[in-house]
Amino acid sequence: MSHSLNEIEAMSKRAARGAGLSWGLAEEAAKGTRWLSSFGFSGPELLADLLELNDRLPPVDFSPVSLRADVWHAPARRMSPLLAGAALSDCAVRLLERGTITMENVSLPMLAVPFMGGAALRLGVPVAVEWEGVRLATDGKQLSVQGDATALRSAQADRVVFIAPAEMAGRREPVMRADVSDESWERLGVFAHRTYAPATEESRLRGAGAGLSDND
Amino acid sequence: MSDIARRDPNTVMRLARLGSIHQSRLSFMRVLTRRLAREGWTFEQTAFEVDDNGEGHAVYTAHGPDRAYSLIAYAHDLPAEKRSDRVIAEAWDATFTLFDGVPTADDIERLSHNIPVQEAGRVSGTELSVSRANRSVRLWEHVVSELAAGRQPSAEQIDAVGYLMRTTAVYGSGKLGAADREMIADRPEFRAPFQVEMLSVFLTRWFVRDLVQHMADRRAANAGEDAAKLSDELARSMGIGNSTGLGMAPFLLNHPVLFNNWVAARENAIQTVRSLQAAGAEEVALFLSLIERSKITIAGWHSEHKIQLEKLDGLRADVEKVSDYLAKNDLSGPRPWDGLYIWAETALSLEGQEWIASLILEPYGDLVDGFADDMAADNTATFRIAGAMTIGELRALLRDIYAWAIDTDWVAPENKARAWYVSEEKLEPRLGERFEEPIEEYEQPLAPGRDAARLFAALEHWPDEAQVAEFVLRHPEHRHVLRRAQIVGRAPYAEIRDNTISDQVLPIDMLRCKLAFFGATQFDPRSDRWVRICMYGNAPFPTELTTENADFWVFPDRDGSDMKGVGA
Repeated sequence: MSHSLNEIEAMSKRAARGAGLSWGLAEEAAKGTRWLSSFGFSGPELLADLLELNDRLPPVDFSPVSLRADVWHAPARRMSPLLAGAALSDCAVRLLERGTITMENVSLPMLAVPFMGGAALRLGVPVAVEWEGVRLATDGKQLSVQGDATALRSAQADRVVFIAPAEMAGRREPVMRADVSDESWERLGVFAHRTYAPATEESRLRGAGAGLSDND
Repeated sequence: MSDIARRDPNTVMRLARLGSIHQSRLSFMRVLTRRLAREGWTFEQTAFEVDDNGEGHAVYTAHGPDRAYSLIAYAHDLPAEKRSDRVIAEAWDATFTLFDGVPTADDIERLSHNIPVQEAGRVSGTELSVSRANRSVRLWEHVVSELAAGRQPSAEQIDAVGYLMRTTAVYGSGKLGAADREMIADRPEFRAPFQVEMLSVFLTRWFVRDLVQHMADRRAANAGEDAAKLSDELARSMGIGNSTGLGMAPFLLNHPVLFNNWVAARENAIQTVRSLQAAGAEEVALFLSLIERSKITIAGWHSEHKIQLEKLDGLRADVEKVSDYLAKNDLSGPRPWDGLYIWAETALSLEGQEWIASLILEPYGDLVDGFADDMAADNTATFRIAGAMTIGELRALLRDIYAWAIDTDWVAPENKARAWYVSEEKLEPRLGERFEEPIEEYEQPLAPGRDAARLFAALEHWPDEAQVAEFVLRHPEHRHVLRRAQIVGRAPYAEIRDNTISDQVLPIDMLRCKLAFFGATQFDPRSDRWVRICMYGNAPFPTELTTENADFWVFPDRDGSDMKGVGA
């Protein structure tokens, strides 16, 4: 079904929160899912995969142990692309100083790509990423994809390398609408539903402050 | 020379003051009507197929220089027991969409299955908004029955309500599958915020006039009579009501950059006018005439709500004080607007201060209207956290923005008595009692003061020179408010600098603020979290719009010529 990007962002934020992420990370997950959708990738499906994988598990287990390490790795030997991506975006300046940041065992690495867009905008130079024979580069506004496209759906990549500054080979423009499969939407909906308070008569009357007649 | 500073965010962004803001030249309705008139937009009704029971559809198209937009209205025969202004309602007296272009018969047919059911329907990228309205039952029946009996309705009864229908939600920007704002934001007519919604309501008012006339005509015809035609003056005196609940309050907190840009535009305008060395005779005359015309609005402002009644008493006393001031001070001295404002700050209530702050902008469209171009927002650039910021810098930022919150005792139950949450019933936003209802686990991040104080406390043992990237990697729970603090560091009016979860919080303050930026008048709270307003009261109808009447219609005129332009 055709969805607006704002719908995708709103659903993704609720779903990420429902899966136990902090509000701040849920916001990052939502912006990222929107960004992927705007380039025609199945952002909602990738996000649903990740939320099911790490459902309500402690984020510290899937976060980089140290931002100064030569190779970023997570204690649980499985890096969340959201936590790692957010850290990469926070460290944009460091990325440019170092030239590359390498991460090990990244789950669903495609979900880390949008954070590269944020880093590129901050740095004012394109940023690239490589794993399993695929290379993506972005200046934050457009995207180039080279190599083995099957890697874009990779469930886990042993080694993911971010590079700045980078060259862009070709330019894909974002679009303003996205098709989302009903299945992905429902999978996210299960998580999102956890953020809604059950309806009670008391909340219906008190919570929105009604009670006066509208037939006047 | 401009040594008059913008007002301090720590003064402006308190809830009591935000809840006292008045419409101004920069309000979104007036930005729209000025543009429509300036660019010579034309308007036509292209369909009106409504039966004797009031069921059917109508189409109204606005033609601009480059594009056309059409309001498709669906009229319904709603039983009284289904009439509710709440989000959780499932049927309405009328439902609408603003269509991008001119709809085909297929579009109208497709949308007839989706618009009348609102949230249960699905729209597409050619629809820019989805909205609904309910009748004011008492005024509707009065107007229909009087017209059907060949008489004009009572002006008094009309004034007591102000509108025939009130919208209960106007959804835009991607909701229900509609076009995202980003799809249309580069069109000049939609550059200022909420222009889609304001255009939709402007056309809705025209439809409502046609519908009430149609219903009177049919009732009279069925009795073998001819109905009277509603007079232009009475029709013009009516606006479109709006009934707004809690959904708008989170909006201001969830769009900090946008909110900053609204407030900053108005503050820049106030600063500009206060900085003027002298006022010309024409400007003073216009200002004085609008003071008089404002008095009509203030005198006719009805509310039954205790809080608003107290505020209205204060405002009415302020009106007298302003008259006295202006009788003694003819604004001919140096910096007359600053003098008036400084006096107002000490002499008037918050309602009166904000009334004057908005009103001094009126004679200076050439100087201040351009600020409306800066009221939109693109969040992309401000969303990213600057991880290289040091903890020392962050601490200083928090002390500056959230001093009130850092000094608040967040253990005391009264300071966190409420929690914002979303109900599974149509995702209605609600405000609950944290210690009385099982809602805390569903709490939305709408208490930035408390969260900032928590962040400040969590930083206590971190060295100044550490970077926030290191901190937030270990503490993702603070990522949301850390981002906010950095945003407010760049956009000082982005944050409500007050407690949004205390036992004293009045959500209507947030609703009032947003609605004043829309250009609403006559705020009538129905409770502490629900407010009715009037939009486009006294405005020309679309086909009457000219550059002479496009700006000052919001000020009614005692001699009845509401359509008058500048001054005299």
